[in-house]
Amino acid sequence: MSISAWLELIASGLITGGIYALVALGLNLQYGLMRILNIAHGEFLMVGAYLTWLFQTSYGLSPLLMVPVSFVVLLVLGVVVHFLCFRRLTATSPNLDVFEARGLMVAFGLMFLVQNFASWMWGGELRGYDYMTEPVKLGEAQFAANKLLVFFLALVFSGALIVLLRMTLLGKGVRALMQSPIGAQLMGIDTKRLHPLMFGIGLGLSGIAGALLSMAYTITPFMGQPYTVTALIVITLGGFGSMGGALIGGLFLGVIEALGMHFSNPSLKALLSYAIFIAVLLLRPEGLFTRKGRKA
Amino acid sequence: MAQQSKRTLLKGAAATVGAAAFAPHLLAAQPPVRIGYSMSRTGPWTGGAQVSQEPNYLLWAEQQNALGGLDVKGVRRPIELISSDDRSDTETVVRTYEKLMGSDKVDLVLPPWGSNANFAVAPLANRFGYPFLAPTALSKRLVEMKLPYFFLLLQQPKPMCDALVDMLKANGAKTIAVVYVDDLFGLENYAALRVALQGSGITMVEDKSYPAGVKDLSPVLRSMKDKNPDAFVGFTYPPDTILASKQAKEVGFNPKFFYASVGTAFQLYRNVMTPAGAEGVLGMGSWNGKTSPGAKAYFDAHTKKFGGKEPDRWASGATWAGLEILTAGVAKVGLDRKALRDYISNTSHKTILGDIKFTGSENTATPGTVSQWQSGEFEVVWPPKVATAKLNPSKPAWK
Repeated sequence: MSISAWLELIASGLITGGIYALVALGLNLQYGLMRILNIAHGEFLMVGAYLTWLFQTSYGLSPLLMVPVSFVVLLVLGVVVHFLCFRRLTATSPNLDVFEARGLMVAFGLMFLVQNFASWMWGGELRGYDYMTEPVKLGEAQFAANKLLVFFLALVFSGALIVLLRMTLLGKGVRALMQSPIGAQLMGIDTKRLHPLMFGIGLGLSGIAGALLSMAYTITPFMGQPYTVTALIVITLGGFGSMGGALIGGLFLGVIEALGMHFSNPSLKALLSYAIFIAVLLLRPEGLFTRKGRKA
Repeated sequence: MAQQSKRTLLKGAAATVGAAAFAPHLLAAQPPVRIGYSMSRTGPWTGGAQVSQEPNYLLWAEQQNALGGLDVKGVRRPIELISSDDRSDTETVVRTYEKLMGSDKVDLVLPPWGSNANFAVAPLANRFGYPFLAPTALSKRLVEMKLPYFFLLLQQPKPMCDALVDMLKANGAKTIAVVYVDDLFGLENYAALRVALQGSGITMVEDKSYPAGVKDLSPVLRSMKDKNPDAFVGFTYPPDTILASKQAKEVGFNPKFFYASVGTAFQLYRNVMTPAGAEGVLGMGSWNGKTSPGAKAYFDAHTKKFGGKEPDRWASGATWAGLEILTAGVAKVGLDRKALRDYISNTSHKTILGDIKFTGSENTATPGTVSQWQSGEFEVVWPPKVATAKLNPSKPAWK
């Protein structure tokens, strides 16, 4: 295999990996920081995808414009969902482990609710549209413009999140919340506001991912689950709560899969992903890219 | 925006109720013909089921009821559809049909969607003695089971692959690269293709399987591009059909013949790829509005009823042909299911797809076909005797 073919293969893996990272970011915020294992994450991503498709096909709105719109709509939805479900759970759960278990159940419920809502609202058919599919040449290789855009935005949003969590007071508050919720409250951090906001941002990010994915793939109300699973693998790889880890983990998984598919067979892709997943859980459960004691 | 299938379902239900309530007393005096089925309205099969199958059931019932009902040996009786969502779950399909045929004892049943579901209910149909005219089942194994009550309308893997290889050979293709989904559908077609390729002088330079729901085929397509085959063949499902097409465009893989399977015949394909982007793409299709006057009338009625939603140019036609056969059969022999089975089995049927005749379970009268997108229409291009347009043997670049 020539050098350029190698580069092309790795680049295509990185692009897919960028998408994985983007999907994983929101879930990481919810699970890594708040211990809400939001199994419905992929479903909210699907809602973002449907909103984008709907406005693109019905009103001719640019899908790019729908990226911030999806973010805001899902952020608000996230705050509402948090208010309706998780706020109560936080209040009634005796400790974090119980909260996590109960949260998981609620998230399962949300998954069915959202999925069926979409299928009732828009039907179960495949949907899609054509946007920025023309190939762009990079050296000898070429990639679809929309994929490059997704990759670029995935990097931007991961970067922004890392900066937000590391550099700002808000980020410090969020991290404090993760370390010790009671301690954070004693220090005057307003957990009543911060929790819903972070949950909302998590959903907002899934909305962004959905809007971007709808440019590259066909969508159905049942598209979400595989993304949730991939996101779980990615955040396990990267370390729970680590945004940088999620980014690197996503890119890493993308490249491994691309190489695996090239040298073996796409049918073995799932085997490969799960093998890595299990290996990381066994050998390095804190994640490949986290240093102990350092988060976000 | 309301859900299409739900709306149409409601309309269908309303039409049935309306017909029963307000139609002339002649109609009201007749008991309805109860026809049951299960259909995927949620879950992964929905995309196929709600394009190729259920809309046709609803349209058919509406049309028949508008005529005063289904002609049962000269007496018109209103159609009452009894249907439920099977959630794309084989277990639910089986239980639903057991109930419909075993305890509800409906007059007739219509088949569910897809090879897997049909595979599961085929033995039941036989046990309860209900004729099944399955439009979306593709499996040699189903044919080999030799179930007397089960009929498959769609052309099976062998004739489809024979037609494809025949076309490639006639147009000078020498090399071929293949991807196939690793389930019953993909494996059977892949096996049939291998057999068809024997002695054809066409070499398979690459073959890869992939799992359903794959999100990236570009590494495979890139390595195929390097081998520069004359033809690409994908035994694919709708999301993968579109994925493979988009990614072939992305990596600049543009062989002279680009063939994909389920979904190429969908209106969705043209919407997503744009008519210019779809130009020259080959796929599994067997009819369009030009095939026959009946096909044109059906196409127009479907598009009108469902607000611009077109039937697909492959399995939708088979679904409609199956309903035509059922209508004619009930008119001739009534609701005696044994007699109906014998009628279906022993008659050469006139349908929108042309003549249909069953040998055992298999429709052996409809030849294997290949279709191609040309100027926004999916034209049948092979074999020439059923073609609606001439094959373009060199696909233009992706647009």
